[in-house]
Amino acid sequence: MVVINSQLILEAILNGIISGSFYALVASGVSLIWGTMHMVNFAHGEFYMIGGYILFYSLTLWRLNPVLGIILAAVIVFFLGIGIQRFLIHPMIGKPGWEHAPMILTLGVSIFAQQAAMLVWGERYKSIPYFAEGTIPIGGISVAIQRFLILAVCSSVIVVLWIVLKRTKIGMAIRATSQNRDAAALMGINPFTMFTLAFGLSVSLASIAGCMLAPLFLINPWMGHGPLLKSFVVCILGGLGSVEGAILASFLLGIFESMGVILISSEWKDILAFIIMLIILYIRPQGLLGIKERT
Amino acid sequence: MGLDQFFTTFKVKPTRPSPAMTITLAASLILFTIPIFIRGSYMLHIIILILLYSCTAQSWNILSGYIGVSSFGHQAFFGLGAYTSALFAMRLGISPWIGLLIGGLVSAGFGLVVGYPVLRLRGGAYTAIVTLAFAEIIRISFMNLVEITRGELGLWGIPVFPSIVVPGLGKISFEAGARTPYYYIVLIIFLLTFFMSYKLVNSRIGLAFRAIRESEDAAENLGVNLTKYKLLAFGISAFLAGVCGSFYAHYILILMPTTVLASGVVIDMIAMTFVGGQGTLFGPILGSFILISALEYLRFLMYYRWLIYGGLFVIVMLFAPAGIIPKIVEIAQRGMIKDLMRASSREVED
Repeated sequence: MVVINSQLILEAILNGIISGSFYALVASGVSLIWGTMHMVNFAHGEFYMIGGYILFYSLTLWRLNPVLGIILAAVIVFFLGIGIQRFLIHPMIGKPGWEHAPMILTLGVSIFAQQAAMLVWGERYKSIPYFAEGTIPIGGISVAIQRFLILAVCSSVIVVLWIVLKRTKIGMAIRATSQNRDAAALMGINPFTMFTLAFGLSVSLASIAGCMLAPLFLINPWMGHGPLLKSFVVCILGGLGSVEGAILASFLLGIFESMGVILISSEWKDILAFIIMLIILYIRPQGLLGIKERT
Repeated sequence: MGLDQFFTTFKVKPTRPSPAMTITLAASLILFTIPIFIRGSYMLHIIILILLYSCTAQSWNILSGYIGVSSFGHQAFFGLGAYTSALFAMRLGISPWIGLLIGGLVSAGFGLVVGYPVLRLRGGAYTAIVTLAFAEIIRISFMNLVEITRGELGLWGIPVFPSIVVPGLGKISFEAGARTPYYYIVLIIFLLTFFMSYKLVNSRIGLAFRAIRESEDAAENLGVNLTKYKLLAFGISAFLAGVCGSFYAHYILILMPTTVLASGVVIDMIAMTFVGGQGTLFGPILGSFILISALEYLRFLMYYRWLIYGGLFVIVMLFAPAGIIPKIVEIAQRGMIKDLMRASSREVED
């Protein structure tokens, strides 16, 4: 039986905040796509995986600085996402079956990308070194600098996303499109351009998350599966389509999970999130910050 | 039960059967005689798999093709049925014959519990995410409950079906490796599935299903209770998947979370439905036949299997939402109509 003391709880909260910031980064992308285009991207995890691989090759093959590697990954995945949106998802917009078709299409993209990654890059797990060695002592516990970097980068990217969405013209155009596509079009916004931009933005967030987590977990073709499911859970908890809700739910889930690990063994940790989601759907289906929608 | 009584209870008109009915009856008669012609047990094994997978694909098709609810975690129901029946037989000594039913009922029960909170919500995204998460809950649980399921090592030592005495044929035993008796079990499951699905989709309930698929708003305005019908479809589909899983357990005799609870199971179901045609009764059967025989006889495809499936989903969604075979038929028909028109115009010219 573990002894629960304040140090253990502090550590759990800190770990929870760190993984929460990572969930928030992946989930805000999923939420952004749902908000603007009303679709679920099942291939979101694969962009996360591709981000990890790009970082791996930029570190080992091209000997780039990690910062440059992450920027490169974000940019490449941004254009990859734009390409997929334009050529695969765009032709389906406005056709019947929009509710299901993009899910199955992106599931296909996901299976294809996983298998292609396995055939091209091999089944062997790849590891990359920590961006910075060493630990920082906080209140009697020591935390690896790498984990702080995750927190710092993920939170600042979210803040940047926030500023872009709330303050810039493009961000306002994206939000206008998600609020009312026709009204936005009347104001001279091309909604399809906004869809493409939002998609590119969303998947490049996933790739940044993949890069930040790559040193902790090994890079492999299936690495996107876990974060994808977690980000879906977080989006439902926060209310589908609400980026604020997703961010709030991410931190809550992160802390809840790391607290839970104190009490139950870690193999069962992943189930915790799914069970919370089911309970929330029973008692508050619209999520924490969602509005009850009937579309 | 006399034949007349059969006709009245099932409302089948004995006079003037439709051509489709005649073909179906003839096909089922041929299916019953297959083991006489096919001696190779390997070949029979492939046919058993084709029949089994056409039932699992049908369970997905009832949901997605008829009521328009997509489940991405259907392997959970297949695996639940398989593990339930196997464990009941191993630990409690319950006959696998009853296990077939129990496996289906347990799956259906879980299906209703998981389906209820999401099926009352609008939007397929909720159902998709929750089914995905539910499959993960089941997979992780069955991996971690090592004392009960042996976890990743796999559950083996599953009892086979106990022998039965059929009047006129004598005692039939189902020892491991025997193909013909298993063929008849799966054939009966297959025919029942087909018959029940046929009855279902052509009933008032089936009409409500299709109304919901075409437009939830319109269906609701006409007084169709969306949640009730969606739950019904979900329960039926989970039951069917559970029965199939339960047969699989007593036929293959080894269960592993990485095979029966992996996402590959549902991807197979989706691929088969899409190849054969979504929202048709023959679609999943055709799809199962094409995909399983292709993978068996063109072994090199196995290596690129998921790559092909991935591409298939994209192509189907973009170019052939009804399915691959319906699209080919449509193109062929269009060609034929063109030929006919050309021929008739030539006649007019002459």
